Amino acid sequence: MTQPKVIAFFPEASYGAALNCVGIAQQLRSLGARPVFICHPGFRGVFAEYGFPEYPLPSSGNESQTDWTDFINRHQDAFRQTPLEQIKSYVAPTWDAIVDTAIAAEEPLRQLLAQLKPDIIALDNVVMFPAIANAGVPWVRIVSCAETELPDVAVPPYLSGCGGTPENDWSLFAEKYRQAVAPAHRRMNAFLIECGLKARPPGEFLESSPFLNLLLSPDAVRFERDQPLDPKTHVYLNGCVRQEAAYALPAFAAHQDAPLVLTSFGSLGAMDVVLIKRMIDVFAVLPYRFIVNVGPWRDDYARVPDNVFLESWFPQPSIVAQSSLFIHHGGNNSFCEALYYGVPSLIMSYCWDGHDNARRAQDVGVGQRIDRYQWTDAALAAAIADLLSDQAMRNRLEANSATMKQSNGAAVAARAILDLV
Amino acid sequence: MDAETKKVKHRHVELAQKILDIATERGMTRGERLPEQALASRCNVSRTPIRKALQILADRLIVTAEPEGGYLLAIDPASFPGLEDEARPTEETELYNAILRDLSAGRIADSQTVASLQRRYDASRSAVQNALIKLSEDNLAERAPGQQWLIKQFAIGGDAVAKSLEFRLSCEPLALTLPGFHRDGPAITSLRHSMDILRGMNETNFDQKLFERTDFDFHMLIARSCGNPFMSEALVSHHRRRRSSQPPVHVNAYRLMQSNAEHMQILEQIERGQMDLASDLMRVHIQLSHSQRPRLAGRGVPPIFRVVG
Repeated sequence: MTQPKVIAFFPEASYGAALNCVGIAQQLRSLGARPVFICHPGFRGVFAEYGFPEYPLPSSGNESQTDWTDFINRHQDAFRQTPLEQIKSYVAPTWDAIVDTAIAAEEPLRQLLAQLKPDIIALDNVVMFPAIANAGVPWVRIVSCAETELPDVAVPPYLSGCGGTPENDWSLFAEKYRQAVAPAHRRMNAFLIECGLKARPPGEFLESSPFLNLLLSPDAVRFERDQPLDPKTHVYLNGCVRQEAAYALPAFAAHQDAPLVLTSFGSLGAMDVVLIKRMIDVFAVLPYRFIVNVGPWRDDYARVPDNVFLESWFPQPSIVAQSSLFIHHGGNNSFCEALYYGVPSLIMSYCWDGHDNARRAQDVGVGQRIDRYQWTDAALAAAIADLLSDQAMRNRLEANSATMKQSNGAAVAARAILDLV
Repeated sequence: MDAETKKVKHRHVELAQKILDIATERGMTRGERLPEQALASRCNVSRTPIRKALQILADRLIVTAEPEGGYLLAIDPASFPGLEDEARPTEETELYNAILRDLSAGRIADSQTVASLQRRYDASRSAVQNALIKLSEDNLAERAPGQQWLIKQFAIGGDAVAKSLEFRLSCEPLALTLPGFHRDGPAITSLRHSMDILRGMNETNFDQKLFERTDFDFHMLIARSCGNPFMSEALVSHHRRRRSSQPPVHVNAYRLMQSNAEHMQILEQIERGQMDLASDLMRVHIQLSHSQRPRLAGRGVPPIFRVVG
């Protein structure tokens, strides 16, 4: 009897990448493969819920514990800044942390891969892990972020939130970014060379796989590249949505038959309780129903309006499918789910590629962006009403949704992975 | 439909479900005759309500009427997830749900009087009283001094699911090892029949409602069989309460399929009399059902936090 092919997924410790990989792994399982998940220390439990074996990397024990309150305060300040300002306050420190993670993971990852003996490794991250390139089996790069992660002269700089036409702001951002991340980049290159790999060009921390690269980027938001990606090794998935548990909508105390608006800024975004309370005050007087993801801070909300329902964890795709509007942070998974189900996005980005998606959504007419903090009650209410009544946008989204569903990106990804063995 | 008619109809639906439960327990299959008199004796009612209940089952194509009288099963009852009451919920059921929903959302306090609830919901005194009695029967409310009622916030709060799993982890494995535990053969057989049907399903066609029924019946079976009335009462009450009040946990179909397989393994060990093994498997089953996902995750988020203060 043929042994099932073992596909080892190694997503970064964020829900977006993790759940994107779950979608592909579900398809692989249905094709008879054996997907397993390697997780970062502290990021376990997510994959077991979908019935996949989990292999947490052992903690080195040298990590310093971070003060929860200090972490939240520091990040909440950074999240109020422009993409350009965040380069120094958020992006560069985050790259430092990412490089630390890659270095700390190297030895345990090498040992774990030697035990697991996977047939293929699928990496969904923004940084290289040399143990993967040196494992002696094909490896796949999954680009869960916005397409801007793969640089091109015709694509706006990664994390800049710039528009699609090259202007001065592109070069200004790119230069400041290169300078700010240079120390982390130097450390990364030294690490790569030490592990027998080639150094990366300035600003880049991860190479394309010579075997296969999977890009989530939906057709509706793709850029025209100056140097098109090699179609033999790069596959656009046109979204990649996982199978989820059904979600029965709760009974609301008011506006039971009104349009449903989902609000979710991811687990990281949910920590700004003050902001979400301010939004809920606006929602309270609007004639719609709202489901709001408040993450683990559920008990911080003393009184919830009749037309609002708070959730801490839910099968997001199953709610997006029933929503008329999705207010989110521009995380690529959320954005792809909104597009997949033909739901307009109101994006209030606060970091990373959320800025890129917010700008792109507005430029191609699949949503609007609004500054996460600089809004009045009337402006937020008007943005919601506009998007709910924009029939032209809805028609455009419905047509795109039909194409994305037909594409079945998760199945395309699974087949492309199995074609490597 | 007036309130009294709704109540009668609801009782008939409950009786119809009981008939199906009896049929499942007896291992009856499609095509077998449902004897009215035996059902009436078993349910401790007259034949008239049994006929009404059978008529409800016939309307839903679950049984077929024989030309010469009587009814035959038109489905395999073990594969049936359970009857839904199609009548609009009664006013007290709506109030029951609204009170729990609004308490959970912080819209009402946990201490209430009948009058304050009447004002909030613009409802009659008797409807509010009936809703509170129903909450009290489900151990979700209790009378407090004076005119007050105390609704049990802890049973529906943010960490109710986690606390419930903690409680079950302490009690359910223990229940399996108590000296008075008795194996209820017919109930185990009928449960296994339903679980076998679930085992034959895949991620796409998995019947979540049938799983919910078997999950509830499985844990209730262990509670009722443990042989210690105090333990039994605590567990039965807890299972009933979590079914009527806890928010859904949104579990993926594949995990539910695994959970069904775990139930079957435990039943197998109970049948073999390997109670310590059944208890260990129960411990594993409850732990696997407990979500371990991180509270906060994101790029650059450290894996370990220290909480200050």
